[in-house]
Amino acid sequence: MSAAATDLEPALDAPTLAALGALMALTACGGGGDSAAPAPSPAPAPPPAAPPSAAEAARFLSQASMGATREQIARVQALGYAGWLDEQFALPASATRWDLLVAAGIADISHKNDQAGFDAVVWNKLLTSPDTLRQRVTLALSEIIVVSIDGLGSGGWKQFTTAAFLDVLEANAFGSHRTLMQQVSLGTAMGRYLTYRGSAKENQSTGALPDENYARELMQLFTIGLVMLNPDGTPTMVNGRTTDTYAQADITGLARVFTGWDVDLAGGTTDTPNFVRRPMTQVAARYESGAKTFLGTTVPDGTAAIDSLNHALDTICGHPNVGPFLARQLIQRLVTSNPSAAYVARIAAVYADDGSRVRGNLRAVFRALLLDDEARNAALAGAPNAGKLREPILRLAGWARAYAATSPSGTWAGIGNTSDPATRLGQSPSRSPSVFNFFRPGYVPPNSALGSASLVAPEFQITNESSVVGCINFLQRVVSGNAGDVAADYTALIGLADDAGALLAEIDLVLAANQLSPATLAALASAIATMPSGTDAARRNRIYAALVLVLAAPEYLVQK
Amino acid sequence: MNSTSNASRRAFLRRASALSIAGVATPWALNLAAIGEAAAATASDYKALVCVFLYGGNDYGNTLIPYDSTRYNAYAGMRPTLAYTRSALAPTLLTPNVALTGGAQYALAPELAPLLPIFAANRMAVMLNVGTLIQPTTKAQYTAKSVPLPPKLFSHNDQQSVWQSSSPEGATSGWGGRIGDLFESGNGNAVFSCVNVASNAVYLSGHHAVQYQVSPSGPVQMNALKTPLFGSAACSSALRALVTAPSTQLLESEHARVMSRSLGAADVLGAALAGGPAIATAFPSGNPLADQLKLVARMISTASEVGAKRQVFFVSLGGFDTHDGLATDHPPLLTSVAGALGAFYAATVELGVADRVTTFTASDFGRTLTANDGSDHGWGSMHFMLGGMVNGGRYYGTPPVVANDGPDDVGQGRLLPSTSVDQYAATLAKWFGVGDTDLLTVLPNLAHWDASQRTLGFV
Repeated sequence: MSAAATDLEPALDAPTLAALGALMALTACGGGGDSAAPAPSPAPAPPPAAPPSAAEAARFLSQASMGATREQIARVQALGYAGWLDEQFALPASATRWDLLVAAGIADISHKNDQAGFDAVVWNKLLTSPDTLRQRVTLALSEIIVVSIDGLGSGGWKQFTTAAFLDVLEANAFGSHRTLMQQVSLGTAMGRYLTYRGSAKENQSTGALPDENYARELMQLFTIGLVMLNPDGTPTMVNGRTTDTYAQADITGLARVFTGWDVDLAGGTTDTPNFVRRPMTQVAARYESGAKTFLGTTVPDGTAAIDSLNHALDTICGHPNVGPFLARQLIQRLVTSNPSAAYVARIAAVYADDGSRVRGNLRAVFRALLLDDEARNAALAGAPNAGKLREPILRLAGWARAYAATSPSGTWAGIGNTSDPATRLGQSPSRSPSVFNFFRPGYVPPNSALGSASLVAPEFQITNESSVVGCINFLQRVVSGNAGDVAADYTALIGLADDAGALLAEIDLVLAANQLSPATLAALASAIATMPSGTDAARRNRIYAALVLVLAAPEYLVQK
Repeated sequence: MNSTSNASRRAFLRRASALSIAGVATPWALNLAAIGEAAAATASDYKALVCVFLYGGNDYGNTLIPYDSTRYNAYAGMRPTLAYTRSALAPTLLTPNVALTGGAQYALAPELAPLLPIFAANRMAVMLNVGTLIQPTTKAQYTAKSVPLPPKLFSHNDQQSVWQSSSPEGATSGWGGRIGDLFESGNGNAVFSCVNVASNAVYLSGHHAVQYQVSPSGPVQMNALKTPLFGSAACSSALRALVTAPSTQLLESEHARVMSRSLGAADVLGAALAGGPAIATAFPSGNPLADQLKLVARMISTASEVGAKRQVFFVSLGGFDTHDGLATDHPPLLTSVAGALGAFYAATVELGVADRVTTFTASDFGRTLTANDGSDHGWGSMHFMLGGMVNGGRYYGTPPVVANDGPDDVGQGRLLPSTSVDQYAATLAKWFGVGDTDLLTVLPNLAHWDASQRTLGFV
């Protein structure tokens, strides 16, 4: 770790911010400013308000947690939004995926070459861990900095390798972005997934150059993107054109940094998974010790491998694109697909300086992102372009959290790998088909009103004629107790089930933050009211039907 | 494909009555489509264009291997640990009808041996060094940056998009979809014009044509509509109305639109596939590409049942980003490709439609020829075209010099394409029935080539 991790950009003082904010208001919509783009306007301070209503609390939890529960709704109401965030930030981390795998006996050599236990521990965390904010944020990070268990190649212990990666994301989720990138870059998971584990220096006889995979995707996907950005996330335009952040020569140069790294057996063997959790180590014979030039900087000839890596990550994490690049995508993961430029700018500014001249403080970023007026102002939820499509993982998690689903065996076998769009969710945690995630931040559904309105809708990239039906079929099985030993606690609903309206109102609040329209609720209530009642078996059928209907409702599917 | 017009008429009447029972719940578009179907069902000709996309950037160097001794030695010298031995290549040496100049010879990777008989029967051709270009580009122009180049070269998502659409990521229409635009009105059911058996691809979206996604096992039926929802027909009915209701909220509206298309198409296609002929050709198991192509064969076999005259299909296989472990990972991928393509071609022969189906491969980009344990992102590549109307048994395009920073590569064996994707696409589109003027709309960059060079004549 280098001291240069922080404070690379001096913070602007408040009067400057205010002046630039006024300028910003004039240019924000045009996106036509040149490279000296203005700094963001200051965050509007929400007036001290009454405690959130239950619906407001549920709406907040749809953005800040893996799913609302009656208990957490009450907690948000009692503590306020900021107080709830503080409580969540302070919660001790739940058991790591690694420890859960070990506890499940998966470290036995018989599992060296399978994926046993992986889906179980990943779902266990997402669906049940008390640190619900940390889980949501870890999921979001895992969809920007992507490792997929299916892409780890040879080397064994894929479940432990991916678990260790997710544990790194989680451990740093409220910490320093620079530290996170350090641990990611030295982790065996990324080394294997983006193939620089074992990458060798330039071969003078064949002309072969170091593997460019990580150098490219580290910049393109994880940190700075392809084009220069204004602080509000819009592309910097010069003479009507965007400016590339890097050229092929920068990739070739940066690839020289990621040479010589390999797994660290530490004198042991690969018969236990311990080596996949150790940071990678250096193999001097494969390290490119010559000079490395990229992004306008040069690592001098003869620089040690770890110092080269620090130089590279300091340069990349200090790039002015990182704040707006990350801010926009994190907002998309938690709040809305189409944040205003001003919202992106406010969060990017917090990335640049958390108020204490610290750059890349993720806790401050998430706090600002979730407390921002554009996230909290319920009046904005009614706009035709508001919100985001709930990704399928969040639909399952929302149900599981709301009704305290458990898998007594601990295997979550009835959930498992949910990748198949025809029979399951069409999305499964840490099983993205490529490093480009399940969906891209700029995806626009073709021939759509969304496209005509210049809106993006990332989650629609995995929404198709098969997945929309497959997902409902799967959730119908799950909510009705037909997914292995996965069982929900419907105690709170049983007592309401004879009254269709009351049953739906309760589900609407917890799952949909009261965002089902009165007309929808009336139509669903009249259908459910035709079902038998009066016995627990009849009540359960009413509950199952009501859950399927709500989980299928477009007004629920779009988190606003 | 061989079903009689009487059978088609019966099928249409069956569906028409089903639609009238469905009554007001049926989207108007489906009713209109059903009307059009009456006309289309009498059409006699049919064509299908099948894109096989190899995601990740296929390693051309170990797919179509230089075999003449000069080129082979250059190849082996650049990838000493990855090169096939020349003797291993001898059985798959291609013997074309038209020899290449300069004595250039190529062999297929041994794993592609199942394709050799199709090449020998003149039903498969090889496209040499094809890739994304804005206009004809020489190495001097590339080096001097004196002509426009495709945006974001060497980037996966962008070059996939450029291959499929002529624009980088963010494009909203591709050339398969733009071809679909021209023909969907002639199809009884417009929804089956652009069919994706893989995952979302811009290739299949047109300016108005919409890609329809179907799983390799056929359309997914909603259980809650097939069986009353927990015993309640009222709830099933409410569910159908709920999930398809239009909305002023744009995201909700888009979801309902996908759902309406899904429910509307599932019954029609499901019934057609259920009544289709059994296909005796064996497709390899455990091969996702073969599973997808088998569904394409089934859809082609029942195209007249859904009133389709022209269909553009998209299937894909991933895993081609072979930065490392190329010697281990790449051969099985080629085995999958050859097994799937070979079975699919055989199925079209069995169904009597080989002359109506053209299949072609595509990929993000080629890769470098220099390599350590694997190869890196490149540009031009080698591709295959198969079908009964393909003028096969020969090469199209120009064999590149095998070199690191030679005349035909921009360093590391990254090929500067000598044929553009637009020329490749235009040739396929012209066969499909796209007129010369429309070609320039479907493929805007095509205008940068001389009219005599816009199509290549391989089909």
